[in-house]
Amino acid sequence: MKPFEYAIADNSSGVTEAIKRGYAIKASGIDVLDLLKERITKSDKYVSIEKIDGLRGIERDGGGVEIGPLTTLREIAESELLADAFPALAHAAAEAATPQIRARATAGGNLLQRPRCWYYRSNEYNCLKKGGDRCYAVDGDNTYHAIFGDGPCHIIHSSSLAPSLVAADAELEIEHRGESKTVKLGSFFEMPDRNIYNENSLRLGALVTAIRVPRLPKKSAWIEFREKASFDWPLAACAVAHTGGSWRVVLGMVAPIPWRSEAAEAILSGIDSITPEIAEQAADAAVADASPMSMNGYRVKLARAAVRRALLHADGKEFV
Amino acid sequence: MVANNNVAMENTLPRPDVREKVTGAARYTADQFPGNVIYARYIRFPFAQGKIASAKLDRARKVPGVLELELDTDTEYQYCGHRMGHVVAESSDAIYDAIAALNIKYDIEKGRNDPKKFYDGPPEPSADEAQQLSEIYDKADVVVESSYETQIQTHSSLETHCCVVDHKGDSADVWASTQAVSGYYGGMRGITGLKDSTLTIHSEFVGGGFGSKFGPGPEGRLAADSSKKYGRPCRAVLDRREEHLDTGNRPGSIQYMKIAATKDGKMLGGRVDCQSVVGWQPGRGGCRNPSLYEFGDIVRTESDIPLSAGLPAAFRAPGFPQGSFALESMMDELSAKLAIDPVEFRILNETSNRRKKQWTRGAELIGWKDRKPDGSQNGTIVTGYGCGGAQWFNVSGDCGVDCTIYRSGDVEVRVGIQDIGTGTSAVAVDTVCDHLGLTRDVVTGKVGNSDYPNGPASGGSTVTRVAVPALKDAAQNAMKALGEIAAKEWGVTMRDIAYKDGQFRSRGGESMSWREAAGLMSDEKLSVTGKHNRDFWGDGTSDGVQFAKVEVDRETGIVRAKKIVVVQACGKPVNRLTLENQYYGGVIQGVSYALLEDRRLDPQVGGMVNADFLGYKIAGSLDLPEIVADFDWNEDDTGARSVGEPVTIPTSGAIANAVANALGVRVRSLPITPQRVLEAIEKGGKS
Repeated sequence: MKPFEYAIADNSSGVTEAIKRGYAIKASGIDVLDLLKERITKSDKYVSIEKIDGLRGIERDGGGVEIGPLTTLREIAESELLADAFPALAHAAAEAATPQIRARATAGGNLLQRPRCWYYRSNEYNCLKKGGDRCYAVDGDNTYHAIFGDGPCHIIHSSSLAPSLVAADAELEIEHRGESKTVKLGSFFEMPDRNIYNENSLRLGALVTAIRVPRLPKKSAWIEFREKASFDWPLAACAVAHTGGSWRVVLGMVAPIPWRSEAAEAILSGIDSITPEIAEQAADAAVADASPMSMNGYRVKLARAAVRRALLHADGKEFV
Repeated sequence: MVANNNVAMENTLPRPDVREKVTGAARYTADQFPGNVIYARYIRFPFAQGKIASAKLDRARKVPGVLELELDTDTEYQYCGHRMGHVVAESSDAIYDAIAALNIKYDIEKGRNDPKKFYDGPPEPSADEAQQLSEIYDKADVVVESSYETQIQTHSSLETHCCVVDHKGDSADVWASTQAVSGYYGGMRGITGLKDSTLTIHSEFVGGGFGSKFGPGPEGRLAADSSKKYGRPCRAVLDRREEHLDTGNRPGSIQYMKIAATKDGKMLGGRVDCQSVVGWQPGRGGCRNPSLYEFGDIVRTESDIPLSAGLPAAFRAPGFPQGSFALESMMDELSAKLAIDPVEFRILNETSNRRKKQWTRGAELIGWKDRKPDGSQNGTIVTGYGCGGAQWFNVSGDCGVDCTIYRSGDVEVRVGIQDIGTGTSAVAVDTVCDHLGLTRDVVTGKVGNSDYPNGPASGGSTVTRVAVPALKDAAQNAMKALGEIAAKEWGVTMRDIAYKDGQFRSRGGESMSWREAAGLMSDEKLSVTGKHNRDFWGDGTSDGVQFAKVEVDRETGIVRAKKIVVVQACGKPVNRLTLENQYYGGVIQGVSYALLEDRRLDPQVGGMVNADFLGYKIAGSLDLPEIVADFDWNEDDTGARSVGEPVTIPTSGAIANAVANALGVRVRSLPITPQRVLEAIEKGGKS
């Protein structure tokens, strides 16, 4: 891998200092390590934020919950609080990656991970996202690429946690240059026509300091489908949550951002209990405007199945 | 005097080197970092086809740590991964930095990435053949015509191809990741000019070899030449991407079959055309189709479809898994059309009596009676059952064994044979222990070094088979050597003593243990050797059958293998765990081949898009079915039969048949991905 300078900050002003001097942030480094080994990262200086206090843990916060960005996937998966109050999130964390990775990977890192697109991850293809002039997925092998969105880049967002958090109307607390602000997770991720070089609105040098779900959903569920049962990225996934009196439906792994389906939510408007018929209708609506590419039409069926099953599962019904 | 010839081997000891392997203490070639080591790597063409238009090498050559960098700017390059040049440097990072600093402009051509674009169907038969076929089809009650496709599978050895050479001028130590110590030695002798014990190959631990790791290869030559030139040890270790691109692969195939049968279930014959999807030039293809069953009168043609990709190399049962997928699928298509049970249909057309019995046993073990008619189940998750058969030739061969007995009674066995995962040290130690009625605290084994006697390559599934008779011969000679000492001590002849269960006994009732007899040695140690011994040879072929039970999710197309039964002839077991390991490993590789693995080329510029283990999917622990390893051996088996390859042959066909049974529609293309299952369901073609 590329050699790099490494600093360890034990407080946030240390991080700020390091950022001023051009250091990029590393939490557990699961994705950073890949980017270094693949030599696609532009950074050659990293500061670890793992030793900073107050960034880890799952705490009740009024009717909601606050999750520190350094909380590991395993901690989320094993949290009794979340298993009871927000099972979609706990389940999504439990299905991700492998036990070894879950022990180290952080919630913040999971939300901020770069895409897994094999053209992006390979040095041979100077794609749009890396400053080049084309998206190689368009005429290439797009089996695992987006089925929603019009480009110009057709990555899928690979975060397992994001769809559930967006479905629960979560927020991020972000610190930048000494100032703190709150951003809705639903608007945090950005489509490629708005932001080609990154997948979200996080500014250089900004730090996510908290992930907050202001109101825990009444019901929630997560469904994902993978080719491999062991260590694979899902082909399609869906998180649903019944919160604030209505259902929210967010698809995962099918678009450049977690894909909220207002069309599905419209079908579910005013509906409390999910029947098999309602689930079918909502599922149909969720994929009605899919725009699959030349090789990935089959994923529309998988996305539809994920929506259908997630709704029934959230409502405690038989779903297979 | 006869040795202790156990009839039943209930040896369930883990292999002697298990602790080293599991704790990471085992040092593989890729783990070798001798002092003052330098690194060497190839520079590879990044596209499907083309040439170097211009190249500026200065910046790359000036990267700190670079010792040399060469690039061939004249050649027409034929595939992604094609070697263009090499770099030798003080560190691995310097090499990557140097490659990144190369300023190369390419003239790129499109290349060939899609075999279907170059496939025109089976060639027209000659007039005679056409006549022959028409007669066959006229006589038939049913005719089934289908085409089957299999993917390119890369070997994916966990330890990549690598070689570390410490060339000291008049001698060299070579660490090799090889499946043929003696073959590698021969190759290195040619490269270095060194011979006898001035050249030593160290191959005690090898991280996988499925047919592509016989000789030194380009990386062996690069390491040897660089080490000699710079007078320092040199590592040439491929990275994962190179391993996928350019170390060989199992060719893909498009197999056309049109087979006729009578209504009472006998096949009459027909047409088989096998076109293998190979690398940038024709060759190294071949599908073993037809095989196993009495297919009747077959007009067979064969050819290769070259793609702009790395060349194939032998891969565990070369030609057989591909052929098996197609012919076993055809067997089920025929039996369905004839309304005959698939197992019965196979027995009716069987060429092997042993396999006839195995079919019955396998059917019982999988629960074949629970198999429902094709596509008859309601519900989202449906269950299916399928089967397939295997055969394997059992070749002859020789092996040398050195054996030292110490005055303590300890025994050390030495064979030069590599361990690619077979458990060579277990084979060596346990064969001797079994033959002499000794335990593992008495016998140790040393393997994988060219200073030890030559043994077979790991090719054709021959290591255990060929080593066992030689090991028993060595053990027999060791027993005779100590027997002479015991006889002398008792003042009797060899004819008056016997050896059993670790004890020498005289006719007169005296006895002494192995250790006691050794204690009487006049020298501190004595040496004996072993070689092929007909008395201990395993006879027969390695017939086998596999049955698969799968679940298919009709809404998502996801297939999960739930249970696989392997009934496989194995000869006399040496160690139950290592033998089971072979069954499990073959099935796992078969499941992975059936459902997951696929070398994918980018259609635009021809690179392999999934040249890592995230995109190139291999079955992991949660993907595994319950595997029932049913050893099929006779009480009078004296030696081992070949096992490693037959156990990976029928898995994909059995799974494909199980999927077709579950769904009522058939996927005729590997791997059987959710995409293909959903497409088959949508098309609705019946199986």
